[in-house]
Amino acid sequence: MSAVHPFETAHAAAPPPADGPRTAIEHAFLQRRERARRGALRRRIALGIAGCLLFLAVWEIAPRVVPGINLKMFPPPSQIAGVFAQMTWGTGEIWPHLGASLLRALWGFLLGSSLGIAAGVLTGHFTALRQLSDPVLHGLRAIPAIAVVPLAIVWFGLGDLSKVMLIAWGAFFPVWVNTFIGVRDIPPVFLRSAATLGAGRMAAIVQVALPAALPFVFAGLRQATSVAFVVLVAAELVGAEKGLGFLISFAHLVFRVDIMFVGLIYLGAIGFAADQLFAWLLHRLFPWYGAEGRR
Amino acid sequence: MAAQTLPPAVSLRGVSQLYASAGGELHWALTGVDLDIGAGEFVCAIGPSGCGKTTLLNVIAGFLRPTAGTVEVQGRPVSAPGPDRGVVFQEYALFPWLTARRNVEFGLRQQGLGKAECSARADELLALTGLAHAAERYPFELSGGMRQRVAVARALATQPQVLLMDEPFAAIDALTRASLQRELLRIWRELGLSIFFITHNIEEAVFLAQRIVVMSPHPGRIREIVEVPLAYPRERGDPAFGAVYARIGAAFEQLHGDAPAEVLQ
Repeated sequence: MSAVHPFETAHAAAPPPADGPRTAIEHAFLQRRERARRGALRRRIALGIAGCLLFLAVWEIAPRVVPGINLKMFPPPSQIAGVFAQMTWGTGEIWPHLGASLLRALWGFLLGSSLGIAAGVLTGHFTALRQLSDPVLHGLRAIPAIAVVPLAIVWFGLGDLSKVMLIAWGAFFPVWVNTFIGVRDIPPVFLRSAATLGAGRMAAIVQVALPAALPFVFAGLRQATSVAFVVLVAAELVGAEKGLGFLISFAHLVFRVDIMFVGLIYLGAIGFAADQLFAWLLHRLFPWYGAEGRR
Repeated sequence: MAAQTLPPAVSLRGVSQLYASAGGELHWALTGVDLDIGAGEFVCAIGPSGCGKTTLLNVIAGFLRPTAGTVEVQGRPVSAPGPDRGVVFQEYALFPWLTARRNVEFGLRQQGLGKAECSARADELLALTGLAHAAERYPFELSGGMRQRVAVARALATQPQVLLMDEPFAAIDALTRASLQRELLRIWRELGLSIFFITHNIEEAVFLAQRIVVMSPHPGRIREIVEVPLAYPRERGDPAFGAVYARIGAAFEQLHGDAPAEVLQ
């Protein structure tokens, strides 16, 4: 074959590795590159840790040096660490709260985002459906999700169901809007290709429109995870027997600022972990997603 | 013109296409186009931008319904895109979320072929286009030339008799383009395809086509149709090649007094 197109190898993105042993120069080159890569990674991690330590140090010192600060109101990390350790490993009382919050966020997110993707694909693909639903959906979207909390409690009670519904409500809109934009703005050449290859309407939607819009869908899902946590806490603050939001409002009632901080730390940690997990999954599942997946 | 005993693969009669700009201005992209593409014939369309050559391809492919006139492919009127007409676009038309193999298999799956059959057929097509070694790569891992090879393989998967190509090699460097042109001619003869190939490059048209449709803009129309009486494989250094080249160049100069960039090289 190479005789027919002698220039192709010059353009190949990644030629397969040669079968023969590597030359000394190649070997040294690879070693150098690997060293540089590891060095960069180590530095990134070290700086990240240094940043955390710096933040903790400022937090530790500031309440003590700024005059007129009550350490009960602004507990430094050293005081919180004790409560944190006790709640996490000692009594273990954080786990039911954490578990309840995570489950609610997960179910609400799954429900809201799957409805959001379906609505986004349909309204993005069918102009008539978009025009039919536009005023209503955008009107509903303009309502802050937190404003719906009392209504959800009236409808679904104080239990898990009202929380899940609220989170689904909050997660739905960013996923819908992003999916909609992604599907609406697909390069026409993709749909035209699909049509010439014999794809019907349904196949074009599922096999072309949806994957073509995936970068947008992911942006929406990522936004939805943060919205889910906001709504979660808002719902738990109002009425719940368990959950991180409940823990924080309970700590407020008994004036335990240190417990509040423990709740906040856990909220930050799960939000951060969810986002990282998301970026990692994106990279694993969709290698073609390219540079965007490595953000 | 087409003196074949077989009916033409593509037949256009009085095809016109009207566009309206956002401001409501009307613009004839095509007027009164009559064109037959014979079975197994290689036809190039060439012309300056705005001459309607892409509109013409879109009409044959079924992406556009002409404002007036009729379009028939193998005797059947065209009403929508379909797998009987393969299309190769200029660039970036491969599905980026599928590997080369899965891109080629896309059309086969639409026909409901089984996994093993799809895979075997994709292997065949990738071998035909010289890409057997890159089957599992994603489009972003392929060079421009390789991507267009996959695009050709994908378009051929549904076994169309007509292949429509819209400046497929325009964005590819000259050396790779030359080898892609040779490959295309080989595939064309191997499969007996009818090819309608759009280009803005005179040399490419003379190298590939049996007939060259020269088009002119405002309004878009066929200016003249030039037969290329050269045997394959063609040599760019051949004086007869130069003569056809000059003839097309002269047709362009008549159009508006100035020649397109390709003539000036």
